[in-house]
Amino acid sequence: MKQYIILADLDRCIGCRGGCQVACKTEHEIALGPSRSKLYTMGPTGIFPDLQMYFLPLMCQQCQNPVCAEVCPTGACYKDEADGVIKIDRDTCIGCQSCKRACPYDAIFFNQELRVSDKCDVCTSRRQQGEEPACVRNCSGKALLFGDINDPDSQVSKAIKEAGEEHVYQLKDTGTQPMGRFILRNARWIDDLPQEYESMRQKGEGHE
Amino acid sequence: MDDQRLKQYLDALSIPGIKAALPTQSFFEKCQPHSVSGEEDVKVVKTCCRACIANCGVLAYVKGGRVIRLEGNPQDPMSKGRMCAKGLAGIQALYHPNRNKYPLRRVGERGGNKWKRISWDAALSEIAEKLMDTREKYGAEAVFCSTGGGGNPEIWSIARFCNIFGTPNWFEPGCAQCYLPRVLSYTMMYGGVDPSIADSNALELYFPDDTPIQCLVLWGTDPSYSCPASGGNAVVELRARGVKTIAIDPRFTPDAAKADVWLPIRPGTDVALLMSWIRYILAHKLYDKEIVMKWTNLPYLVETSTGRLVRAKVSDSKDEPDTFMVWDKHTDSMRPMNYPWDDGLDPALEGSFVVNGKEYKPAFQLLWERVEPYTLEKAGTICWLDPAKIEEALKIFTEYTPGGLALGVATDQTPNSVQAAMAAAIVDFLMGNVERPGSLLQRFRTSGVLKMPNYPVPVATKMLPKGQLKKRLGANEHKGLHIWYAGHPSSIRDAVLTGKPYQPRVWIDRSGNKLGVVAESAKWVEAIEKLDFIVHMYMYPTSFSAYADILLPAEEWLETDMIVETCNKLFARQAVTHLWETMDETMFWSRLAKKCAQLGHEGCQKSFDAEFMGEDLAYWDSMEEFFNHFTKVVGMDWKEFAQKAPFEYLPKDEWRSYYVYKQTNEKTGKPKGFNTPSKKLELYLESMIDLSLTGQPFAAEELPPASKEYDPLPYYLEPVESPVREDGLHEEFPLVMTNGRVPFYHHSTLRNVAALRELYPVPEIWVNPKTAKTYGISHGDWTYVESLRGKITAKACVTEGIHPGVVFMERFWNPETLDTKTHGWQEMNVNVLTKSTAPYNDVVGTYTLRGFQVKISKADGPPEGVWTKPEDFKSWLPMGVGETSDRTKEGRK
Repeated sequence: MKQYIILADLDRCIGCRGGCQVACKTEHEIALGPSRSKLYTMGPTGIFPDLQMYFLPLMCQQCQNPVCAEVCPTGACYKDEADGVIKIDRDTCIGCQSCKRACPYDAIFFNQELRVSDKCDVCTSRRQQGEEPACVRNCSGKALLFGDINDPDSQVSKAIKEAGEEHVYQLKDTGTQPMGRFILRNARWIDDLPQEYESMRQKGEGHE
Repeated sequence: MDDQRLKQYLDALSIPGIKAALPTQSFFEKCQPHSVSGEEDVKVVKTCCRACIANCGVLAYVKGGRVIRLEGNPQDPMSKGRMCAKGLAGIQALYHPNRNKYPLRRVGERGGNKWKRISWDAALSEIAEKLMDTREKYGAEAVFCSTGGGGNPEIWSIARFCNIFGTPNWFEPGCAQCYLPRVLSYTMMYGGVDPSIADSNALELYFPDDTPIQCLVLWGTDPSYSCPASGGNAVVELRARGVKTIAIDPRFTPDAAKADVWLPIRPGTDVALLMSWIRYILAHKLYDKEIVMKWTNLPYLVETSTGRLVRAKVSDSKDEPDTFMVWDKHTDSMRPMNYPWDDGLDPALEGSFVVNGKEYKPAFQLLWERVEPYTLEKAGTICWLDPAKIEEALKIFTEYTPGGLALGVATDQTPNSVQAAMAAAIVDFLMGNVERPGSLLQRFRTSGVLKMPNYPVPVATKMLPKGQLKKRLGANEHKGLHIWYAGHPSSIRDAVLTGKPYQPRVWIDRSGNKLGVVAESAKWVEAIEKLDFIVHMYMYPTSFSAYADILLPAEEWLETDMIVETCNKLFARQAVTHLWETMDETMFWSRLAKKCAQLGHEGCQKSFDAEFMGEDLAYWDSMEEFFNHFTKVVGMDWKEFAQKAPFEYLPKDEWRSYYVYKQTNEKTGKPKGFNTPSKKLELYLESMIDLSLTGQPFAAEELPPASKEYDPLPYYLEPVESPVREDGLHEEFPLVMTNGRVPFYHHSTLRNVAALRELYPVPEIWVNPKTAKTYGISHGDWTYVESLRGKITAKACVTEGIHPGVVFMERFWNPETLDTKTHGWQEMNVNVLTKSTAPYNDVVGTYTLRGFQVKISKADGPPEGVWTKPEDFKSWLPMGVGETSDRTKEGRK
């Protein structure tokens, strides 16, 4: 089965929020506030001036066992067997937000205008036109790649192989088997869930 | 709505009222995401962005006349198909409901924000009459103009208009505070292009697969934030290939986080650190001996009592330099060194020599004496750095060659500005990082299409009437400003306030929010109140608009045309659409000159005479007519050029011309050398003395001397407000403030764009956790920030990424409070706090934007009326499709 994912090379991500935020929102006409992708600042950790920091762009992790789809009462949220991407059918979504609450990565939001749940679908519409997802297309650091992780010849599989297993990470698995991958060579991976890490940091409880 | 009805409708409306009067429709409709490719009626226009000063290639998708998508153009050799947040937000900027749409004249009190729509013709007539009247009563110099502040400005048009109208006074808040110190220093010392990444230089960086560069020093620059798509991307590519990077920045920026060494320097002390670098390189003899001996002026003898180089012969040809003297160790005597080099001589670099009672020293010796006190320990003490870390950086920099030092805007923002650029240049020259593959300092070929850097408009210096130049305010004292034909902002403002040396009365400004970008904004508001007449031209109303008498609508970048040269390619920025009655400033100044000509201004009349103007070109009636003068260099008219662009004007390898100084000058048979008077790299910058005395080589006529001679060597100036000065100031204001870019805004632009404000709604003040604890401030708290000059509010970002004694803030203003008594410039604008008064940089007059003292305290909440939540910005979202297209019928004027 195909499994399309977004791969983020965190050594290349410069935190500029152009492709993954502005281009994504413009492409999908997302209202002010929510976003299909987020950028977490992982750090700085340490004590001045001995610090490390990296940025983590986060969108739907296209889980192998998608709890969002599992809890959907109407089947609107489903994992598409054609590309492994989790999608939400707007005609059958009743806006109950069960999927949003279930997602361990805070990657689903409620689209107030359309009264449906909304999330990254790896730019299905653009892919159908033979184009890259908007974030990948516009990423200034060229940090984002997309492709079929089950195809050894895909861009993402090659990048993962080239980076070496020890430098490839996935988000902490709470049982859903996230398929998104992150490359990080030049900093220590922080294994907290990014949204939890951010709220700790905001309370002044960041790692030291 | 027909034109007449609309006019009545808009009469005497306030600015936000204009928006309210126009029906808007939701940007969001319940539909599947649209896809644009493959539909027949979608047109893709190749243009260039201008949301900042980079010119990234853009593909603009247009459907039914409306821009619906922007993407980077992969043909761009710098941005390589990427666009950043600022550029991508261009659609929201273009279709912003609060665009300035028509010329407006103030009705009622100044500052009352009541406006009446007038025609362009009426606006231009009124401005021209006021200009002519002022000129007749008080002299042309009573008119001053300004630009800057971001938002697609085109600075040479303003310099040209001022020359033609006869006033020597234009300024921008940039110039001495932004880029001019670097341009001046590298121009005078080297004669090639400076290494500013954010100004689209250091072009060697854009060829990661074949540049041999091994180490890049990011000194006060953060390309990840200032130009993510071009410079940011380039540094990422180099790092991925193993290039070492060193970041010198008070702030733990993305580039600092990814650097091999981060030196979090105390703001404003960069020259002390640079002096220690020079000292280290000299003391450890790590310099490139061949370059230093043969291609710098360091072996040349200086008469110590005058600071002048000793000449055996003065040349009367510009192809031949003067002949300078060296101390020959073979003969133990002073000998002439014939250009470029005499193998029979063995010049001393060190020592002191007395001939006929006069003392002479090689320039090398003087440089050493200047930097000798700046040991790593001393630099560590001054700059709040660990000397071992400084040495670690130096070891990398000197071992991994070739390399280069990319100097950013940070050092331009203190009164030590020019000296920082001089010292940075010296570091690279000593290491031989010039014109070899892998170095940032290059004279790559150019197309020859643009005669002036960046913008084609000829400045027409000959048009300024004799005697006017010495009236350029502040520029007799700070003569380096003449390189850009500019006046000194604080001197202009002080003249308005005091009437000395004369009273400026009329101000025409085409730029972003002046009150967001000039130091000590409140003092400018005092000055504004003394002026007879103010015109403001911009894409949107800004705080400054509130004080204007006439408002003019400028074009957004998606509405403008420009010739853009990017590496070995020529691009065209081309108007993708046109809205309302907006105008390109390149046309505005031409039309204003025409009005003045009609009212009898002789200079303006001559400015339309092609024969008289010659190379300076007669004023133009259209952009096409104007561009045709330039595109003919590549054998095309503008239409054809715009249609074919982008295209290569030279193959890449031919364009990247290395070792230009070694090329033979056919007239002399000798090497061309560098573009300096001595044709050597002038580390000892003797021409600073001449600049201070006469204004040469930049001023068009001889000027009276400055009060003191400029120093040929860099010197360190402790910030005037400083935690180490024993004047007690730091006891009340204990923290050092610095500024720097975030990736969402350029200068004072884009704070009214919803897509960007939701990402960065209010300015953060970075505070170290230890400091935050001292003042009882937690992450996210509203915080007062005060200096001797004022008080503002910011939101605390408590982070280890800054020294406990330092705080950081990005410039800001609040368009949402334009129609209140603050006019949006008083709440969160760090330039309420900055210092616009002396000491100034001697050469160019830089004041203090960074490295001054503040205190912080917890605030009760946000300032009144400030928007903070994403949904607050909803009224700034673009208008619906049908509504906008209606307004485009009026076409280009």
